[in-house]
Amino acid sequence: MLMNFDKLGAWRWILSGICALMALFLLLPILFIVALSFGNSRWLIFPPPGWTLKWYGELFADPRWLQAAFTSAKIAVIVMVLSVAIGLMASLALVRGRFRGREVLRGFFLTPMVLPVVIIAVALYAAFLRLGLNGTLVGFVIAHLIVALPFSIITISGALETFDPSIEDAAILCGASPWEARFRVTLPAISHGLFSAAIFSFLISWDEVVLAIFMASPTLQTLPVKVWTTLRQDLTPVIAAASTLLVLLTVVLMIAAALIRKGKSR
Amino acid sequence: MTSPHLHINGIRKTFGDVVATDHVELEIGEGEFMTFLGPSGSGKSTTLYILAGFQDPTAGDIRLRGKSILQTPSHKRNIGMVFQRYTLFPHLSVGENVAFPLRVRRAPQAEIAAKVKRALSLVRLDGFEDRMPANMSGGQQQRVALARALVYDPPVLLMDEPLSALDKKLREEIQYEIRRIHQQTGVTILYVTHDQEEALRLSDRIAVFNRGRIEQVGTGPELYASPATHFVADFIGDSAFLTGELAEVKDGRATLRFTDGTVLADVPMHGVGAQGGKAELMLRPERIDLSDTVGPPGASLPVTVEDVTFLGNNSAVTARTGWGEPLYIRLNFGHPMMASVSRGDKLHVRWQPQDAHVFTKE
Repeated sequence: MLMNFDKLGAWRWILSGICALMALFLLLPILFIVALSFGNSRWLIFPPPGWTLKWYGELFADPRWLQAAFTSAKIAVIVMVLSVAIGLMASLALVRGRFRGREVLRGFFLTPMVLPVVIIAVALYAAFLRLGLNGTLVGFVIAHLIVALPFSIITISGALETFDPSIEDAAILCGASPWEARFRVTLPAISHGLFSAAIFSFLISWDEVVLAIFMASPTLQTLPVKVWTTLRQDLTPVIAAASTLLVLLTVVLMIAAALIRKGKSR
Repeated sequence: MTSPHLHINGIRKTFGDVVATDHVELEIGEGEFMTFLGPSGSGKSTTLYILAGFQDPTAGDIRLRGKSILQTPSHKRNIGMVFQRYTLFPHLSVGENVAFPLRVRRAPQAEIAAKVKRALSLVRLDGFEDRMPANMSGGQQQRVALARALVYDPPVLLMDEPLSALDKKLREEIQYEIRRIHQQTGVTILYVTHDQEEALRLSDRIAVFNRGRIEQVGTGPELYASPATHFVADFIGDSAFLTGELAEVKDGRATLRFTDGTVLADVPMHGVGAQGGKAELMLRPERIDLSDTVGPPGASLPVTVEDVTFLGNNSAVTARTGWGEPLYIRLNFGHPMMASVSRGDKLHVRWQPQDAHVFTKE
């Protein structure tokens, strides 16, 4: 340990204070939007003069919002499944494979993480114009898959690296065929990595907005795009309600991911 | 002669230009405990991996009960193996780990339950069925691995340095357990280790590996009493080597001349050496005696005592020959010389003719 927290004396209170301020700084906008979604003012006034559930009622009564949420969920689930499947195969190659250019390939897989999303969006938009994929479900899925895959590959490779291949060998000598060994031993043993990859992939697609704006058409748009376009037309608290629900799902999934990580280290 | 239980027939394995094993030839009887002993990189593990089917030999054959197993994939060889690293399936309980080989063989549930219970009892882990591997010590994990490898009654059990990750005390405890399990089950075991003490403690026979080849195969006492090569003599037990020139070679016996002119006649010799070639005389510290009188010709040398260290039940004496090479002698407690020997004494070392060995030097 570089620093022993218990031996810091007065410093520990200062450090704790800085920590609390940081947490507040990060969380305050979210708390703000949650409060506004329950406020009864038409004009996003803070603090709200009174409380109401009216905006949630409006939100659920508007088929366009529900349509957008359904589209978001559909895309996120497809992206999640593909991202885990492709991420698993890529990770197997990167971790187990012995071939030239393996490190280059690993770097290549991770580039979407460091590339500005807007550049990916412009490039995809141009490419999809030729292919006629803009404004289609396939276009959305491909775009989100590109940004989700690096996270999937990182988490699955991480799990695979801590898994000793000798364990698979042991399963094979026990009489399991190589495929049986992979399905009955390797996959269950790295399942925490697969679950984390699934959750992160879902979340990345679920709250992605830049690519989605480029891909969206009037008939096909995701929830974050709907929030953004509505925001440009009028400042209704319905947006706050929609945002709150977005955040709620994200928080639930993050907690699930944390619980899985905890279960793994048990 | 009936065909051996397991026949490793001229196995050769190369990785590019590197020869991992060469001409490995060994016959192992049913129920035998055979140890592959050698330093790392000597080819002992490669041979084991070829047996397991994880590697294919470049040349040679392996026959189990008279039938070649090289065309059989690993999972159909029915061989048991305990690995150097902990290889329990982390997501399965101890009971399910041991049941795994039976489940993939589609054994009926009642049989699985009975066999798992018996296997765990064999390694003295009764009642551990519901434990998870992560909550067990290294020694316990290796015992579960042993139960898992034995639960389907394999014709051969391979063990690849299974105790190297454990501390010394635990290692000795589990060595004793392995010996008991071997006696109790009668399973044929191929055991790989680089620890000569472990090999001597466990094995019926030991195959000493060096640079991809088997240097000698024999029981522990055989290897100790009549090592075939310098390497074996050096690897099993303590030994000192004195370098001289072959003055005469006749009928497997040699006359050695050392640099100061000292001559030793009529010493049993290993290997082919030409007159005038270099050779080494091997003597073991505990097989030579210190005396103030000269011994019979060919079994005695004059030495000067250089150092004496009392070690409790024995004293370690370092002496130097007339031409300056060191020689080590172990005097057991109660030896008549023990009290009197001191630095600078000019004495004679003596030995029984069968305890000296001459190896030609490459």
